[in-house]
Amino acid sequence: MKNLRWIVPALAIALAAPGCVLVSGQFLIDFKLTDFTTTTETAVSRADVDLSTEEDYNDHKDELQGLSDVAVLGTLENTGNTAINAEVWMTAGSTAYTTADEVRANATKLWGPFQVAANSSKTVDWDTSAGLFTRTGKELLVSEIKGDGQFTLYAIAAEATYSFDVHNGVLALVLDFAK
Amino acid sequence: MKRSLALLLLVLGVGAGTAQAGEIKIGAGAFGGYAVPLIQEDAGSGAVFGVRVPIRASSMITIEPYYMTSSLDEVTEELGGVEYTRDGFDMKSLGGNVLLFGGTFYPYVGLGSYELTREGSEDIKELGWNFGLGLGVPLGEKFRLDIRGEMDMIVTDESSRKFGAATAGLTYNLTQ
Repeated sequence: MKNLRWIVPALAIALAAPGCVLVSGQFLIDFKLTDFTTTTETAVSRADVDLSTEEDYNDHKDELQGLSDVAVLGTLENTGNTAINAEVWMTAGSTAYTTADEVRANATKLWGPFQVAANSSKTVDWDTSAGLFTRTGKELLVSEIKGDGQFTLYAIAAEATYSFDVHNGVLALVLDFAK
Repeated sequence: MKRSLALLLLVLGVGAGTAQAGEIKIGAGAFGGYAVPLIQEDAGSGAVFGVRVPIRASSMITIEPYYMTSSLDEVTEELGGVEYTRDGFDMKSLGGNVLLFGGTFYPYVGLGSYELTREGSEDIKELGWNFGLGLGVPLGEKFRLDIRGEMDMIVTDESSRKFGAATAGLTYNLTQ
């Protein structure tokens, strides 16, 4: 029995080392985005996100550790006559840029490109979407999630001219928490 | 990954170092079962399979290197009125367990290098721990049936991914 003494401290270290890993996990928040139309003929469309309006986010706010998985979901309908590469850009806090050039100059690219053929619609699936996030965009998103949870998303396309609608848009976040 | 393996070897080395002098018995076995994610809203359950090589170093301690693999189910969620499916993890682990006290019922702890992969996500390659309780029943002179319940914890930065698993395995004694 004497020789088994090392087991107890080893187990204690194992359980304590990463914080209290026993009381940790991943939970899903889906932030719904209102349907919108965006075109180079008009001001860019944006979504003001305030995660503090989500009950699950508030319940775990002080225990958030990171972002485990993320997806921009919804159906994109390209109403133009050429294919587009849709993108989502992001700024910390609330901003109100009106042109795609302003967005590219001042915001951080979060997601994309997601190609949609001319005059067609395409639903973004979760697996594809999760792979389209940029590293810098993800870092900014994590920073905002751990901060006040308020940021702005812009939907534009990489092309000089574009016109598309977004239906049933959702920002899905799988957040790591630990007590 | 290299750091995890080094730590694993260290733990196994410490375990072996505490073994009493005596006859060493070695076996080889396979196991299968079912793993369930714990407090994970983006992961599914799935079958788990593996092999292990128990080395009975004393009447009190058995060191058991293992390899485990699992293909977890996808998860479907309704988001914004539309059903979306997220790919399930493929999970692999290479590690070692220390079985204690050598009884019919035995507790065990283990350390392993885990790898979780799925489409659209960066691979998770981290150190993980497991602990559980087993029931070992001899089947004749050469075979032994092990039924186990365990919890696996893969440490991811400041959080973790946890799985509960129930397995049944058959081990053949190579030395007796």
